Amino acid sequence: MSRRVYSVLAWVVLAVLAVYFLFPIYMAIVNSFKTEGEVYNSVLGLPPTLKFDNYTEAFKKASMLRSGWNTIIVTVTGIVGIVVCSSLAGYKLSRTRSRLSGWIFMLFVASMLIPFQTIMVTLTRMARDLGLQGSPFGLGVVCAGLGVNMAIFLYHGFVKGIPRELDESASMDGCGEWRAFFLIIFPLLVPITFTIIVLNLLWLWNDFLLPVLLLNDYRKYTLVLTINMFFGKYSRDWALILASLILSSIPIVMIFAFFQRWIIQGITEGAVKG
Amino acid sequence: MTSRRYRASLSLILFVLPAFVLYLLFLVIPMIQGSYYSFTDWNGLNKTYDFVGIQNFVEALKSDRYFRSAILFTAKYVILAVVFQNVLALLLAMLIESRTRAKGLFRTIFFLPNMLSVIISTFMWVFVFSKVIPALSEYAVFKFLDLSWLGDPQVSFWSILLVSLWGGVGTLMLIYMSAIQGIPQHLKEAAIIDGATPFHMLRYITLPLIAHALTICIFLTLNSSFKVYDLVYALTGGGPGRGTQVITMNILEEAYQGNNRYGYASSKAIILFLIILVITMIQVSIMKKREVEA
Repeated sequence: MSRRVYSVLAWVVLAVLAVYFLFPIYMAIVNSFKTEGEVYNSVLGLPPTLKFDNYTEAFKKASMLRSGWNTIIVTVTGIVGIVVCSSLAGYKLSRTRSRLSGWIFMLFVASMLIPFQTIMVTLTRMARDLGLQGSPFGLGVVCAGLGVNMAIFLYHGFVKGIPRELDESASMDGCGEWRAFFLIIFPLLVPITFTIIVLNLLWLWNDFLLPVLLLNDYRKYTLVLTINMFFGKYSRDWALILASLILSSIPIVMIFAFFQRWIIQGITEGAVKG
Repeated sequence: MTSRRYRASLSLILFVLPAFVLYLLFLVIPMIQGSYYSFTDWNGLNKTYDFVGIQNFVEALKSDRYFRSAILFTAKYVILAVVFQNVLALLLAMLIESRTRAKGLFRTIFFLPNMLSVIISTFMWVFVFSKVIPALSEYAVFKFLDLSWLGDPQVSFWSILLVSLWGGVGTLMLIYMSAIQGIPQHLKEAAIIDGATPFHMLRYITLPLIAHALTICIFLTLNSSFKVYDLVYALTGGGPGRGTQVITMNILEEAYQGNNRYGYASSKAIILFLIILVITMIQVSIMKKREVEA
């Protein structure tokens, strides 16, 4: 097979696969601009006029502002909790060379093998007993608990690359351990912190099962839960549903558009080191 | 000396404490409780319950028809999802890396579904399967698409696979791409000069040199496919009947939807944990050995 044929073949395969990947998104966007009747009569055609009625209706009926705000609370609580707790623990565990430190680190790492599905039933009870069920903030705290092990693992590995002399010179200059951590060490952890934020952002923003189990009042629902409820309620009106799907995906797609390079780097690094 | 060591331990404990408390409350204790309840007949509500030994495990594996069919269905899904996802992701990574133009564009297209919530993007597929494909199949060329994509368990198995492929390959592709970029250029050039065909390149250069990425990606896909829930929930809801029920759905059904067999559900959850643990351990140990050889 000559190189030229090979190259043409590669383009064809890529193009076909690109159609497969874009097709549902394209169909969803096109039909979200139609009326219910237009979807019914011609699914494949383009909308005759560009109408945003479905979007305004979906925005109101699915209470996008409220559920978007709930999602932000969950995500921010979870990420702040994970970053603060894990950077402290990961740094100290990496610096201390004692048996105790080794054991604690082992415990964290081993727990990465526990699937969420194995603990979901008892975890739900635990959250209820602690009064964390039913609020986005509580959900964020629970998520922080589930996310620290992986983050500690990543911080632990990263800290090894930061020279110990930095800690020592700080303590010689009379800087306390905690101040030294926040003023000197933490700023150096920014690259790995970014990776951790990216990985957890994707998880927390899009999570479904844990929020379903912990949030039982629709006013506390995150975006994904609201869309799930909306889907059940208006399942006959596809135009409206599709508009709500597109609308709720916009924030994460925008984040992706702005931070693509870091996100891609974060995911590759997180996977290779994890 | 002892006081210095004591001080070091104290400061270690203080730094680790916040993370450890969260970890204990939301991971360790639920895991221990779950293991404990798996040996009881607790219904999740009563104050009293009985210790029943391994009876739950025996029942789940021997006489629970729905659980067994959920395990079989999940196993079938895992095998095909792991194979197809990795083959497609590797193919995409190699094709994109061999291009000089439009690399970024293709990478974005194939990665995009990974950013979206599984629930939300699967609803788009529900629309495709229930409205778009029926409309397409009215045209003679697409007559073969006239199937019951979500209504017949035989067919919906493949619908589930199709959507899982769509939503899952992006991350794997990125990992493979970064591994391929790590292959030294002179090796590729030497192989081309020696007249290696693309197949030989794949077999003797690419695959051995990205062995670590293969280990990671197969580990990731094994893990995520055994735990699949959102996708099946949004696409078929486990139906029709229990035709496409996966293990996680079966566990939730047992614990909540009317059954309230809390202890029994816990033992099924432990079984899921053990299945994943054993299979991924075997996979990683076998593949790690091969990495060293390569």
